[in-house]
Amino acid sequence: MVTDTTRDRAIALPPSTHEFRDIVHRLEAGGSMLPDNPENLKQIIGIYKAYAVPMDFYWRNLLYIAERVFLNPLPAFKYFLPKDYLELHNHYAGDDADLRVWRGDASAHPELLEFVRQGELQRKVPKLLHHLWHDRINMEFAESCMRAMLWHRHMYEPANKFDRYLDSEEYRANADLAIRAYFQGNPLMLGLYKLFPDMFLEQVRQLSYYSNLGLFWEVMAPVFFEMSDLYDEGKLASVPEAMQFLVDGIFAVAARPIYHHVYIRGDRYEIIPKSKGFMWLYEAALPYVEAIFYRTSPFRGTKSYNAQANQVPAEQKDFHYGILYADVFPIGTAGIPPTLLMQDMMHFLPQYLLDDYRKHCRGEDDILSQIGVTFQRSMYNVTSAVIQALRAALLYPLDDPNPRHLQANREFFEAQLDRFIRPEARLRNVQVQDYR
Amino acid sequence: MLSALIWLPILGGIAIGYLPFPIARLKLIALSVSGAMALWSLWLVSQFDFTNPLVQFVEFVPWIEILGLNYELGVDGLSLLLLVLNGLLTWIAIYSTVEAIERPRLYYSLILLVSGVVAGAFTTQNLLLFFLFYEVELIPLFLLIAVWGERERSNYAATKFLLYTAFSGVLILAAFLGIVWFGGASSFSYDALLSQSLPLGLQFVLLGLLMVGFGIKIPLVPLHTWLPDTYVAASTPVAILLGGVLAKLGAYGVLRFGLGLFPAAWAAVAPYLATWATVSVLYGAFVAIAQKDIKRMVAYSSIGHMGYILLGGAALTALSLVGAVAQMVAHGLILAILFHLVGVIEAKVGTRELDVLNGLMNPVRGLPMVAALLVLSGMASAGIPGLVGFISEFLVFQGSYRVFPVQTLLCVLGSGLTTVYFAILLNRTCFGKLDNAIAYFPKVEWRERVPALTLAIVILFLGIQPTWLVRWSESTTAAMVAAVPSEPVNAFVQEGVFPQLSLNWADGDRPSDLATQSTRL
Repeated sequence: MVTDTTRDRAIALPPSTHEFRDIVHRLEAGGSMLPDNPENLKQIIGIYKAYAVPMDFYWRNLLYIAERVFLNPLPAFKYFLPKDYLELHNHYAGDDADLRVWRGDASAHPELLEFVRQGELQRKVPKLLHHLWHDRINMEFAESCMRAMLWHRHMYEPANKFDRYLDSEEYRANADLAIRAYFQGNPLMLGLYKLFPDMFLEQVRQLSYYSNLGLFWEVMAPVFFEMSDLYDEGKLASVPEAMQFLVDGIFAVAARPIYHHVYIRGDRYEIIPKSKGFMWLYEAALPYVEAIFYRTSPFRGTKSYNAQANQVPAEQKDFHYGILYADVFPIGTAGIPPTLLMQDMMHFLPQYLLDDYRKHCRGEDDILSQIGVTFQRSMYNVTSAVIQALRAALLYPLDDPNPRHLQANREFFEAQLDRFIRPEARLRNVQVQDYR
Repeated sequence: MLSALIWLPILGGIAIGYLPFPIARLKLIALSVSGAMALWSLWLVSQFDFTNPLVQFVEFVPWIEILGLNYELGVDGLSLLLLVLNGLLTWIAIYSTVEAIERPRLYYSLILLVSGVVAGAFTTQNLLLFFLFYEVELIPLFLLIAVWGERERSNYAATKFLLYTAFSGVLILAAFLGIVWFGGASSFSYDALLSQSLPLGLQFVLLGLLMVGFGIKIPLVPLHTWLPDTYVAASTPVAILLGGVLAKLGAYGVLRFGLGLFPAAWAAVAPYLATWATVSVLYGAFVAIAQKDIKRMVAYSSIGHMGYILLGGAALTALSLVGAVAQMVAHGLILAILFHLVGVIEAKVGTRELDVLNGLMNPVRGLPMVAALLVLSGMASAGIPGLVGFISEFLVFQGSYRVFPVQTLLCVLGSGLTTVYFAILLNRTCFGKLDNAIAYFPKVEWRERVPALTLAIVILFLGIQPTWLVRWSESTTAAMVAAVPSEPVNAFVQEGVFPQLSLNWADGDRPSDLATQSTRL
C-alpha cells in the first residue's frame, strides 16, 4: 500500500508549515488532494464513468469537425456524427489497440450509441428532431473547452511546441494547401481567402485545436472506462490507487502523437503531420489541465466583464475559473457553462451514484448541482494525478532517501497548492463529505 | 343566504372543537368548510345585481328590540367582494397551515370562528350587531397570535394587538351610541340612521371617534404601532387573515359608517383625511425601506397601501371610491400572497433577514417558483400594470387627482417608493448567489405552491380583466357619492376654511356632479 510506506518517510522531513499542510503530507505520502475514503472513491469512479460516455462522443465529434467539416462556412450539421466516426476505433481500446487501456470495444460505447438512437425521449425519431428538441450531447461544451485552450495559447512554453508551430511558415504552407483544396471550385471562398488569408488561417488553427482536444480525450475516455470496470471488479479499492492508475496511464500514453489531418475528397492533407513529433503529454494533457481545470474564462453569470470593475484579471495567467475553482451551486442557471456537461453526464450515471444522489439534498431535483460537486471532487483527483506525474517526471521519487530531494518535492507540492489558497478554490470544500 | 356565510364557519368551528373527529381529519374538515364558504360567496356574487345600488339579500330577524339590536343582514357593492376575499383567504390560511400544528382542534375552530365573525361584520346592517362581531373577532385572534405565533414575541404582540383593538372597539361603540342617542333613532339599523341628520359640529365629533377607532384597525399613522409587531409575530396563516381580511374591516368601517353616515362632515374634513392618508402612505413606504426583515417590510407596505383607500374615500368621486373598494380587494390578495411566500421562505431557508437571504432564484438549489411568485407579487404591490395593484391605485389616483392634486402626487410618489423597497427586497432575496455553506434548503412541494399560485392567477386575471374587480361596486359607490350634500361644503368653502376645496371645486366639479359624469368607467 502506498500510504503505509510513506508514513515512515514523513518523518524524514519536519512537518510542513503550509496552509494545506495536511494535503502536502498526503501528497508526499503518495496520496491525492482528495481524502481517501470509500465514499469519495465511489463518487469519483462513478462520475468518471458518467463523464467518459459523453467524452467518447466529444472526441469523435471533435476529430470529425477537424478532419471532415473543416472550413465549412455553414456547418449546420457539424454535430451529426456519421456512422464511420461512431465506429472509429479508439487507439486505446479493443483488439487492434496501440496500447489496450480499456478491455472493452474500440468503437463507440454501447450506452452512447443507445443515447444517440433514442435520447432522453426514449423514442427513435430522426436525428434532426432529437437535435431540435435538444435531446442530444451538448457538444458546445467540448467546443468551449477547445476554445479555452486556444485562447490560453503559449502557456506551457517552452515545453509546449505546438503553439509555436501554429505560427510557423511551415504550418502556414500546409494550411494553405488544405484551404485551397477544400474550396476548390468555389470562387467566392477562394476570393475571400485571397483578400483575407489570416481569417482562414486562424480558423484552421482553431481546427487544429479541435484535433488536439479530440486526441486528448481519445485517451481519457478509455482510461475512465477501464477505471470504472476495475472498480466494479473490486480491483480499485482506494482514492490513491485510482490516482495511481491515472499517473500510470499518463506515462503510458505520454508519447502518443498529436497531429491534425484533414480529409478532402478522399485525399489526406497533413496540416500538422505526425512526424513533427508532438506528444500527448506536453502538447495536449498539460495545456488541457492548465486551460480547463485552472483557467478557462470567467462565467458570464458570475463575473462582470466590465473593464472598469476590474473583476476579470488583466493577465491570462491569473484566470481562475476552471472546475477546481468553479462555484457549482448555480449550475442550471443562465450564464454557467458547466451546466452543459452536468446535463450530459446526467444521462450516463451508474446506478449506485444515482441511488446516492436520490438520498441526499433534494434528490433528483438538484441532481445537476450534486453531479457538479462530485465532478469537482473527481477533477481534484485527476489534478492530483497530474501533479504526481509532473513530480515524477521533473523531480524525485517519493521514497528517495536524500532529504534534499524530499525537500525539493515538498517545495514543488507546496507551490502547486499555493494556487488553491485563493478563496474561490474548492480544495477546502472537497475535504469534507458534507459538501455535496 | 348570508347567514350561511356566518353560521357555516362558526358551526363548523364549534363542531371541530367539540365533536370527536380524528385529529388527522381536522384540516380537511376545516378546508371543506372554508371552501364551501368561498364557493357560497362566489355564488352570491353570481346572483348579485350590480346595477342596483341598494343592499341585497336582506335578512331581518327581530332580536333585542329594546336595545335596537336586530339581526339584520344585507350586502351591497361595498362588502360583496370582501366576503369573497374572506372566504378565499380563510381557505388559503387553513391550507397553508403546517400539518403538525399544535392543538389543531382549538386552532382550526378559532380560524373558522374568526372567519364567520368577519363575514358577519361585513354583512350586518345594524350598528350594534357590527360592534358585536367586531369585538367577538378579537378573542380568537388574540389566541391565534399568542399561542401559535413566534415564541419570544407573540405574547407581547398579541397583548398589544388586544389592547389597541379593544380601545378601537370602545371608540366605535361610543360613536355608535352617540349616533343613536343624539339622533333620537329607535334602533341601530343602518338604514334608519342613514336618513337622520345631526348638527354638523356633532357629526365632526362622532366622525372623529370613528376615524380614530377604525384608524387603529386599518391602521393609519400614528395609530399603527401594533401592526408590525403583530404581523411579524403571527404565524403565516394568521398573518394572512390579519392583513388580508381584518385590516379591511377597518377600511370598510371607515367607508360604511364614516362616509356613509356623515357625508357632510366627511366632505368637510376630506382634505385633512387625504393629507392623513398621504402621510400614512409615505410613512409606510419610508419605514419599509429601512427594514432588514422581509416580514416587517411587508407589514409596513401594508400601512402604505391602506392609505390609498382613505385617499380614495376622501376624494369623494365615483371613480376614487370604486378605486378604494378595489384597493381593499387588491391589497387583501397581494398581502396574502406576500405573507404566504415569506412564510414559505422562512420555513425553507430558516431566516427572514435580508442580509442572510440570497440567490433564491437559483433554479436547482434555490426556491425558483417561490422567488418568481415573489417578484410577481412585489410588482403587483408596487403597482405595475397588468396586475391588480395597478388597477386599484390608478383608479384612486385618477379619481382623486382633480380634487386633491398635491396629496395625490405625493401618494404617487409613495407608490414609487413601494417599488424602491420591493426592488431592495427582491434584489436581496431572489437575486445574487446562494451561500454554499447554508444552501441545502429542502425543496418546495407542489402542494405548498398551491396557495400562492391560486392568488397569483387571481391577481393576474383581475389585472388584465379589471371589470371583474370594479363592476360590483360601481353603483353602490356612485350612490354613496351622490348622497354627499354639496351645500355645507360650499358653506365651508365660502368661509374660506378650506381654500384648497374652493380651488378645485369652483367650476362645478362637486363630487355629486362627478358622480353623475362617471358612473361608467
